[in-house]
Amino acid sequence: MNFLAIVSAAMPQLLYGARLTIWFSIAAIILATILGLIFALFKLSSIQLLRKIGEVYVHIFRGLPLLVEIFYIYFALPMVLPMHRWFDPYFAPVAGVIALALNEGAYITEIIRAGILSVDRGQTEAALSIGMNGFQTMRFIVLPQAFKRMIPPLVNQFIQTIKDTSLLSAISLSELTRQGQIVISTTFASLQIWTAVAAIYLAVILSLTALSSYMERRLQIDKR
Amino acid sequence: MISVKEITKHFGKHMVLKNISVEIAPREVVVIIGPSGSGKSTFLRCLNGLETVSSGQITINGVEITHSKTNLSLVRKEVGMVFQRFNLFHHLSVMENITIGPRQVLKMEREEAEKRAYALLDKVGLREKAHAYPDELSGGQQQRVAIARALAMNPIVMLFDEPTSALDPEMVGEVLAVMKELAREGMTMVVVTHEMGFAREVGDRVLFMDEGCILEEGTPDQLFNNPREERTKLFLSKIL
Repeated sequence: MNFLAIVSAAMPQLLYGARLTIWFSIAAIILATILGLIFALFKLSSIQLLRKIGEVYVHIFRGLPLLVEIFYIYFALPMVLPMHRWFDPYFAPVAGVIALALNEGAYITEIIRAGILSVDRGQTEAALSIGMNGFQTMRFIVLPQAFKRMIPPLVNQFIQTIKDTSLLSAISLSELTRQGQIVISTTFASLQIWTAVAAIYLAVILSLTALSSYMERRLQIDKR
Repeated sequence: MISVKEITKHFGKHMVLKNISVEIAPREVVVIIGPSGSGKSTFLRCLNGLETVSSGQITINGVEITHSKTNLSLVRKEVGMVFQRFNLFHHLSVMENITIGPRQVLKMEREEAEKRAYALLDKVGLREKAHAYPDELSGGQQQRVAIARALAMNPIVMLFDEPTSALDPEMVGEVLAVMKELAREGMTMVVVTHEMGFAREVGDRVLFMDEGCILEEGTPDQLFNNPREERTKLFLSKIL
């Protein structure tokens, strides 16, 4: 069989995997961004307890290999907490997405924190001086300016998240990498299938990159 | 209107304000001068709670802002502040800079807020810049917008923290002109500045600060022409 014939025969299975990869990525990115925003605000809080919670979160989830986190939540935690029963029969995807989100969220925490800190203190003072409260100052003055500067490192992190979904193959989730392995186990066409898998990952990531450069242009990121 | 009683302020071990007391009457224009590091700006920033005092009391219009239970946001919307470095919101147009306070804090309707913003822009002579962004304006124009932004909240007192110090010399006049106009309209103003001409022309009272104390105070005429303290004479001889 030639290259194209092998790949096109495997394509339905690979695309099924690609679809799951995209869904896992979207879910993990949304959750990780929410976690990142919450813990960034914790780390910048004037309340010491919240700052400590934020620090511990980042230290733990940035400090462990993602694969260990995935195994821990999927295999170890159910030993003490019957999570697998709560989410049955979807525990594997739920555990996978949670592990991913917690890990990427730790990095996003630091990206968002750095973005907020990069906004001149005078902006906050001016907002407070016209009677805005802390929430309004963050919402209308600081975050919009911080957000533009956070886009490039956030896009980096989102790309990382998409690639990291491949580790979910280790808990038998049928995402793209896992589907590739399955196809190869019956066809033995390593070169052809891994080439196709790589091409699909690249296509997904390049479309995210294109989307982000469009957004950067729209938001005129080069301007303040 | 503003009553300051024996306030002190420490930054760590360093004492920046030492036992300052001062009363400011409605419609009064008080100018604060003094060498850098004398605590002028810190004092001004205590008046709207951007700095917290270590001890003492500040009362504005009957509200004790140094009380721990006071909601500072409520006080600040009545106390306008103009900064040395303008601090316009870079991501908002001139119009949005002026209307965001009234709309978010005073919950004013957009049309009403914009109508008032245009009136304020007329006052500072920048109506045609309503849709420009701060970075497209000169320093003098930015500072005039900053004054309009503070006025949009209808404050009962305006604080100016060296409003012309970051400006090119040819732009100082346009900002001072707006401030003089405000003073003539009867706005209560506390102005930290090195502009002695402004102090003489519109100041009702001048405070000379040095090393965290109000060393001397008086009318502009008294303080500039007949200073009592040696330290004041020395300072004036260097800047006049």
